[in-house]
Amino acid sequence: MGLPSTMDANEGIQLCVFDSRRGQREGQELDKILFFYPPDCPYSVQLSVIGLSGGMITFTRLFSPDAACEVIEAERHSHVFYQAEPDIWMVLIVEKVKDSESIWRCDALQAILREIHSLFTMFNGSLQNILDKQPSGALARSCLYTFITDYLTDFRVSKKIKVPTFRDCLKERRTVQMLTISREVAIEVQYCTIPISCPSITVIHLRFLPITTLNCPSAPQGDTANMFTYAVLRLTPHALSSKTSSWSYLRKGVSSSNVTVRSASLNTGSSLEDYQDGSCNTSPRGQGQTYHTARLLQTDNWSKGKDGFLVSGIHGEVGNLVDIPPIVWLQQTEEQVYLCVYQHRNLTIIFLIPASEKIVYVEEKLSKGFGGENAYHVSGYRYLLVDRDKSISRASPPGKVTTLAKDSLLAFNNLREEVDLKKARANREKPDCENNFEMCIRAKNNAWLIAKIARGRELYMVLEKANETLLYASDAVEKFSNRCFVIHVFFHCFPSLSKRSSIIFCRIISSVTYSYGWYCDGAFSLD
Amino acid sequence: MDPEGAAASADSNPLPDPDADPGLEDAGDATGAEGTYARRSLPEDLCPTPNPGEPDSVPDADHVVVDRMNSLDLEDEGETASAEVLGSDGSAPADFYRKPNPDDSDVNPGAEPARAQDTSSLDFEDPGSASGAEPPSGNGTLPSDFYMVESEIEVVDEGCQVVGDMAGTSSLGVRGAWREGSDQDGDVPHSPSSSGYAGERGSSGGLSSGIEELDDPGALSDDWSRKRHRDEDDGSISWRKRKKHYFILSHSGKPIFSRYGDEHKLAGFSATLQAIISFVENSGDHIKHVRAGNHQVVFVVKGPIYLVCISCTEEPYEALKRQLELLYGQMLLILTKSVNRCFEKNPKFDMTPLLSGTDAVFSSLIHSFSRRRIVSIPAAILCVILAAFATAALISSTGLPCSSHNLPPTHCFVSEHHPSQANYFVLSSFSLLLILVVPYEILSENPATFLHAYTCLPLSFATRQAAGAILQDVADSGVLFALLLCKHKVISLVGAQKASLHPDDMLLLSNFIMASESFRTSESFSPICLPRYNPMVFLYAYVDFLDVDTYLILLTTGPDSFYHLKDCRIRIESVLVKSNVLSEVQRSVLDGGLRVEDVPVDSSLRSGSLPPHLSAEKASSELSSSNTIIGGPSGLWHFIYRSINLDQYVSSEFSSPISSSSQQKRLFRAYQNLYASMHDEGTGPHKTQFRRDGDFVILCWITQDFELYAAFDPLADKVQAIKACNRVCQWVRDLENVIFLFGASPFSW
Repeated sequence: MGLPSTMDANEGIQLCVFDSRRGQREGQELDKILFFYPPDCPYSVQLSVIGLSGGMITFTRLFSPDAACEVIEAERHSHVFYQAEPDIWMVLIVEKVKDSESIWRCDALQAILREIHSLFTMFNGSLQNILDKQPSGALARSCLYTFITDYLTDFRVSKKIKVPTFRDCLKERRTVQMLTISREVAIEVQYCTIPISCPSITVIHLRFLPITTLNCPSAPQGDTANMFTYAVLRLTPHALSSKTSSWSYLRKGVSSSNVTVRSASLNTGSSLEDYQDGSCNTSPRGQGQTYHTARLLQTDNWSKGKDGFLVSGIHGEVGNLVDIPPIVWLQQTEEQVYLCVYQHRNLTIIFLIPASEKIVYVEEKLSKGFGGENAYHVSGYRYLLVDRDKSISRASPPGKVTTLAKDSLLAFNNLREEVDLKKARANREKPDCENNFEMCIRAKNNAWLIAKIARGRELYMVLEKANETLLYASDAVEKFSNRCFVIHVFFHCFPSLSKRSSIIFCRIISSVTYSYGWYCDGAFSLD
Repeated sequence: MDPEGAAASADSNPLPDPDADPGLEDAGDATGAEGTYARRSLPEDLCPTPNPGEPDSVPDADHVVVDRMNSLDLEDEGETASAEVLGSDGSAPADFYRKPNPDDSDVNPGAEPARAQDTSSLDFEDPGSASGAEPPSGNGTLPSDFYMVESEIEVVDEGCQVVGDMAGTSSLGVRGAWREGSDQDGDVPHSPSSSGYAGERGSSGGLSSGIEELDDPGALSDDWSRKRHRDEDDGSISWRKRKKHYFILSHSGKPIFSRYGDEHKLAGFSATLQAIISFVENSGDHIKHVRAGNHQVVFVVKGPIYLVCISCTEEPYEALKRQLELLYGQMLLILTKSVNRCFEKNPKFDMTPLLSGTDAVFSSLIHSFSRRRIVSIPAAILCVILAAFATAALISSTGLPCSSHNLPPTHCFVSEHHPSQANYFVLSSFSLLLILVVPYEILSENPATFLHAYTCLPLSFATRQAAGAILQDVADSGVLFALLLCKHKVISLVGAQKASLHPDDMLLLSNFIMASESFRTSESFSPICLPRYNPMVFLYAYVDFLDVDTYLILLTTGPDSFYHLKDCRIRIESVLVKSNVLSEVQRSVLDGGLRVEDVPVDSSLRSGSLPPHLSAEKASSELSSSNTIIGGPSGLWHFIYRSINLDQYVSSEFSSPISSSSQQKRLFRAYQNLYASMHDEGTGPHKTQFRRDGDFVILCWITQDFELYAAFDPLADKVQAIKACNRVCQWVRDLENVIFLFGASPFSW
């Protein structure tokens, strides 16, 4: 028995997900394994991996019942554990290659496992649920297989999986990574967006205008009434059901719009099914429909899509089958909004997404004000600022980080490892206490390595061109902290969102929509 | 046992050869035959079986009993004898083998009286909350200590409010409450550095007061009173909750040493550890450490010996690894590395008998990693008085004369107990006078365990020169090393040409001597191995305590040099007495080391009187009317200065803000962490480091010449702290003739 003497040289990592309750009987241990990477790994190897993992978990529980094994450090491998669910464990084994590049922080590796699991859960629900539904585990295995395999492609560098190393020690996974824009732009953008009303994490803002209960102070009353009228006329289930049209999702509309999709922000009106007789006045609301020749009062123009959203007859450009929601004009706020309607049984929710020039303006501002990721780089500083409470991080441009000497990064990686341990210990011992400390190291190559933890925020800095003294370095940190504080004032304007959802959304959006990733910075700076 | 044979075998083959030695072979075979060892069944060869066929072991046992009554190492009554034999001729494993098993001591009639005298022994764990347990003053001089006089108190870090409260209540209550348990067994491992002075020796074993650190919160529940908690095993909750375990086992999974619990009961656990190590090894890898929550499991493999530490202290991996290596070094010091040959011949070789009786040595080393003991003055006085009475009674009953120095070397441990009792009396009386005035605070946390350096007792240059001269004189006459130490502090040290002594070896050697009670009883001649010097061979150490804490070590390569070394010692002693070195030493001990309060403050008057022996140097520095700063200037609380070229360090006394032992331990740990961080393997050593957390501001500064570690008030101002560090460095340089030993053979290798 024993671990594989060498893991596949092409892989560099092994990743295993197993359920410690399964396969209790001798000979059935293989049943424990829900996922194993690389998938073609011989069973004997897989078994020895979970054998050691399971054994160490049991062993360490003898002494540390609350927190079982997290890391096994051996000479040639690091094994990182993550207890994803009470009985579900994920183990990542990375090989230490002699080239001295394979130095990492265990926390950073564990963050990968956490991320895999939280993303998986977002799409598939918890593994436990899947296993409960289908005890044989086939479903869970196939879900995990496709999901993790796809996930790992992001780490693949020329046929080899490359995990984050010490070179990534100025990045923080599982936080919303912010990019800096100039203060002027930020303020201007913020000013522009106030009328759009409170934004949320994805830039999309949800506001409910409860028509039936008129207690929403920010809702423009006249428009609300109009919307309600229209809803009753054409959007409520009753109005829809008066037609028998078997609507198809791809049905062509009457006219096409020349409006292009812009970054969006939603306003919504929610109309509870509050049926009044259909004898409402014809509303003047049509006046806003400047861009559209869509006949929104045509009786058969709305229909319910399979996804619950109502679809108007208006479509995008020819050949593009995407439905473009109609635009309406809100009189009181004098803005154009897209009208999106979602219906569930008798409940109709109306989202109004601003389509006004404001959005264009904000977008322009941001594009102009952005000026490239290095534009607002503070010269001399390489930093990472993490706000754990809000899962936000802000870091030096990656390009600038690579200019740091390897020794500085290596030493800094070690410093971070030490901070991780200290933090984790403090959190375990005094979870309620605020954990404040500060460490400044002048490394052999004269770089200053700084970690400062205060009020839930963590500031990490590497100063390579700092002057001789500790005082200079602390001075630099102070200055920097002050700058950061300004930024943080913005953060604090944020409506508090669940940390989890914010991370997940941002990650998805970053990978799907914008490749260069200032989306969320824009989003945050908006506030 | 045959001293002659033993000496002969020591001569030719320093290490017990199982094949050649019938006794060992028995042991080896027995264990070899025991196939199911690793399966939790207790092998028969490990079961304590008294050896009835050993007539001379009976008198030995008597000695032991007598000795026990005068020593603190109650826990291994039976084993003391073997320890002593080891000390006298470590090359006679047959003797070890024949020694009564520790577990036999319960049936030893001689042990009973000692136990009966045992007063309450109280272990309690407490996160520093033990108001009563901690002497308000750092020196433990207050009456609140009285109630602890007869209590052995173990403080545990996190713990039990109940106990903390108990400690705070009236002394009588405490004693009454805990008496019963302690009567059952009182074997507490004593740090010899703190408890082994003559006064205590004269008293009954349990009679010591001390605050021992902390083990775990659960310890209280059922076996708080057991010294090494021998009744625990891996099944007990209390055992699992201990903060720091150390294990030594063989590559076949046989337990060799465990800090807590009976090794024999931990056979199954040992096998588990072995399985983990070999599982990973089978894959061509080597396990280094495992982390689980606050716990760390550190593995060190040294040939056939596996060492494992399981700790939930905040010490970094590097520190724990180093501690295991020191433990291994301690083992080598007793046995040499040629013990590996036994494993080559018989993989299932059982090493426990070889090390029996040396528990105290390992425990004391472990204490120096993290423990701190304070012996309060009142307790010490009482101990001494009792000791004097006890020894007086003993002498009158045995009627033995005092002639401890005239016996052949191989006898000096085994046969000299009675005479040495007389010495006790003399020494006890002496220490009575001494201890009346000495604040008996002993630091057993020893920075040497992580600093790779030793420390010197502050002495005027002339005094140290005088000591060095006579040692040099002796060294020229065929002595390899001559060391004069006071506790773990060096007074002077001289090596033969080209021979250099590693600080780690000095640490292990002084620990071995101070932890083995028997060295104090008379001059001794014992084979020892210096692992850093040459791990394969035995040297021979002549050890003699010149007074309570001051002892002379003469190391030689020849097993026949006893009489020569004895002559040397006599010469040295007379010179030392004549030149007042010994009295200077006493004075220095009394005065203590550097105090942060004495760090010169710029452009102001200095306050605080200086230790007389330092006054010459201090005269140059300015005096100040320091304002009401607690501790030193700029909130300086403590510092350690290590001279890289000299391999020596000097550490200040603890100032009032860190007078409590829990704070001191925290500081010690902070230093350890800082050291590990600064000496980072890949990228270190760094140049400077500044840390601030809730407990301290700590500054570290490493240059080519020195390393400075300084702890400040957590609110200390950075600028001021840096200035203070500069001043400390300047100050230390001004004093270097006093606090460092120059001219010792340079430890360059």
